[in-house]
Amino acid sequence: MSIQVQNLCKAYGALTVVPDVSFDVHEGEFISLLGPSGCGKTTTLRCIAGLEESSGGVIRIGDKVVSDPARGISVPSHGRDIGMVFQSYAIWPHMTVAENVAFPLRTRNAPKARIAEQVDRALSAVELAHLRDRYPSELSGGQQQRVALARAIVGRPSILLFDEPLSNLDAKLRESTRTEIRRIQKQLNVPSLYVTHDQEEALSMSDRVIVMDKGQIQQIGTPQELYRAPVNRFVADFVGKASFVDVVREGSGAWRTPDGTVLPGTLHSPEGTAHQLMLRPESLLLDPQHVASDNISVPGRVLSAQYLGAVTEYLVQALGGEVRVHSPIDLGTDQVVGLSFRSGDCRIVAR
Amino acid sequence: MSDTTTQPGVMSGSKAATALARKRDEFRYLRLATTVIVTLMVLTPILALVYGSFRTAAPGAPGEWTLRNYWALFSPGVVRTMGITLAVGLLTSALCIVIGTIITLIVHRTDFRYGKAVTMMVGLAFYFPSFILAMAWIIIGAPGGIWNVVLGTWLGLEWLRIDVYSLAGIVFVMVLHQVPFVYLTMRGPIMGMDGIYEEAARVAGAPPRRVLFKVTLPLLSFSLLSSFILTFIITIEQFAIPALLGIPAQVNMLATQLYLLVRFSPTDYGLAAAIGIALSVITGAAIWAQRRVTHSGRLTTVTGKTSRLNPIRLGRWHWLATLFCFGFIALGLVAPMLMLIYTSLIKWFNANPMQAAYTFQHYAAIFSSGSTMRSFSNTLIVSGVGAAFGVMLGLLTSYFTVRSTATRSRYLDFIATLPFGVPGIVLGLGLLWAYAYLPLPLYGTLTLIIVSFVTRYLPYATETIGGQMVQVDKSLEEAAWVSGATKAQGVRRILLPLVAPSIQGAYFLMFMAFFREISSAILLYTGATAVISISIWAFFEQANWGLASALSVIATLIIFVAMALITALYPAARRK
Repeated sequence: MSIQVQNLCKAYGALTVVPDVSFDVHEGEFISLLGPSGCGKTTTLRCIAGLEESSGGVIRIGDKVVSDPARGISVPSHGRDIGMVFQSYAIWPHMTVAENVAFPLRTRNAPKARIAEQVDRALSAVELAHLRDRYPSELSGGQQQRVALARAIVGRPSILLFDEPLSNLDAKLRESTRTEIRRIQKQLNVPSLYVTHDQEEALSMSDRVIVMDKGQIQQIGTPQELYRAPVNRFVADFVGKASFVDVVREGSGAWRTPDGTVLPGTLHSPEGTAHQLMLRPESLLLDPQHVASDNISVPGRVLSAQYLGAVTEYLVQALGGEVRVHSPIDLGTDQVVGLSFRSGDCRIVAR
Repeated sequence: MSDTTTQPGVMSGSKAATALARKRDEFRYLRLATTVIVTLMVLTPILALVYGSFRTAAPGAPGEWTLRNYWALFSPGVVRTMGITLAVGLLTSALCIVIGTIITLIVHRTDFRYGKAVTMMVGLAFYFPSFILAMAWIIIGAPGGIWNVVLGTWLGLEWLRIDVYSLAGIVFVMVLHQVPFVYLTMRGPIMGMDGIYEEAARVAGAPPRRVLFKVTLPLLSFSLLSSFILTFIITIEQFAIPALLGIPAQVNMLATQLYLLVRFSPTDYGLAAAIGIALSVITGAAIWAQRRVTHSGRLTTVTGKTSRLNPIRLGRWHWLATLFCFGFIALGLVAPMLMLIYTSLIKWFNANPMQAAYTFQHYAAIFSSGSTMRSFSNTLIVSGVGAAFGVMLGLLTSYFTVRSTATRSRYLDFIATLPFGVPGIVLGLGLLWAYAYLPLPLYGTLTLIIVSFVTRYLPYATETIGGQMVQVDKSLEEAAWVSGATKAQGVRRILLPLVAPSIQGAYFLMFMAFFREISSAILLYTGATAVISISIWAFFEQANWGLASALSVIATLIIFVAMALITALYPAARRK
């Protein structure tokens, strides 16, 4: 099974929310749709679920075309064989936990014995078997979330869809639930699409991440690719923390920062007219003694400091701009420091 | 990833999708049927009324187009009626707001000891039919009524004589009838008020009375204004009270003048229709004003999440609060009820219970009279079946308006709200006119009575059911769809169970309203389609107080028993 989205387009009257989006989710793959609110990620997901009518493009689940407006094809939600976890959980308050989970099987007229068996299995997969006769109002937020998960997986759907399922949980619970969702998804080996605006969630859970902005896909890649080799400033900024310094290309091919530091021309050079140097705060080294090394080394001055526990985040004036640096060393403001980094850790992006 | 090439695709794609959505909408025909039925029900009487207001002759008779009826609105007689209508409306609403708010504050904001009892009795008073209340007060306060006989004739206190057949009498009985409505509309805002504002004032050093007048009441001002306008609307729409008390004294309100023009010669249907339009315009404008008030956002001080409010200590004023609340209940419920029971049990009217000849003959007469028994069964059919039909229509209307953002659903919403602005007697006149022309064999049938009642009270159903439906998150239904349920299954298995309390509530509201309704039936009934309210009315008009009282007692008991039953059966706490 797989999900295939080709040239998906969604417009509300004159307002086009998603102009043209294409991607695949392969057999057993877990893909996140990551982006700020209003970027079209939820609309894309809802089109795949059949909760929105797409305006153009083709959506396939497995070999079956479920949506192709040009040919007049639009399979309703209940014919798409999907499991979905909603942001609000959407578990039905008038049904017990077991009734909620049994619903997808009952509507498909599964035999009684099979319903009982599969409900048991789904509930034990999310460790809720002991609460089967409770009503949703008697459950905590985390438990409600797991009921929603059990309901999504109980019918052995061909695909799983998640619409920001963790955004209503507190931070601790969110981390453990991430692992649990991924474990269950691997067990079922079912292609999954996960919508989130939380980059940490996307990076930690996904096989691949699709970064979206203003209805457009910005980059598709593994978490490592996105973090280390973002294709543009938006992706670099949205995925992880980063500092940016303007650079210009010299005739020799080398890059020059406003303070005159020269970076090797071997760096990846994207298209575009204006460029910036991207630096991740943890790939910079701070050295108060201002000692030179093999790395690229520049002087800097501490502007401000924010103590975060494991490290202190410093805002350092260097390279003709301002750069964020994570360092375990204690420094005062206005202190002059040396700043060094490997050229392999920096990246040029289009502005 | 380029978006420039897809523009034509967007256009054709979205068109195809619309066609697709139309094709796939499971409820397409149901939606169409609902829209057509609601439109026909609501627009038929309104258009007929507008048509009639431009005609020279009665419905069915040959006539010509004219503006005469509208010019007649400015004749001294009609202008006087309009003045009386507005005066009664404003005076009644002002008194109701003061009395109703005081009772609400006493019951819900002080350490008053009998709050539960007062709440229950005021609830009963709310369902006490206006024409029965007016009749009871005629028995008490007419020139030959008990009050005047006892205080005037026996005790010689001539200066205490009263005459309920007067403007003051109308206002007095209207206030008694409408105060429970104010209580019910003000209870929510007063109980739901966020205590933090009062606490802040108290911490700032304000004594309790100052807190009440400087913080509590100003915060409630928009709710008070909204309640005032609503009371004004139901006062000027009121038919039975001004008809019973005003017509003998020739003090007419618009509703009663309309009735007189249609029922008594010389009849003038055209002027009646014009008066109906004028009255509808006034109520419509008032409703518009009330909507503006509630939508202005200034009601938001009422958060609904109550931090515990500190009750105001009544202390040595507790007796006064008790007197006030129970005084109202005595005048608005207990005294009229006792009076009706007394009158129903005596052979002929006698102000002295010691000398009266007691009998059950009136009750016996009711149960042996075929026409009265038929009015009973008619009422049960109209209330039971009519309310079911009304709730069904209200449910469908709510579903299509709440669960859709399309323009056509806004149209349906608008049409379904229109009856709010049409007083019952005006609706009756419109239907009378419409069915004089339409070749439908509805005139003189119970169906027509049901149609008029359902049309009049459709907003009750849509407000009640729609109000709960908007609170059911759409994702609950979507979750059912992705779980393999069709739209219809989603409605049946998820939405309906979740809005069931509001469906029961709407049925109860409609049943009760139909049971008491008189104003929209008074112009439509025939001998075969009389309902209980009409029978009582007819007995009273024939000066048969005994029979009218006996039937009133039975009707009131049925209402109270039904209310008690439904309150008991009503699922008090839904799992949520």
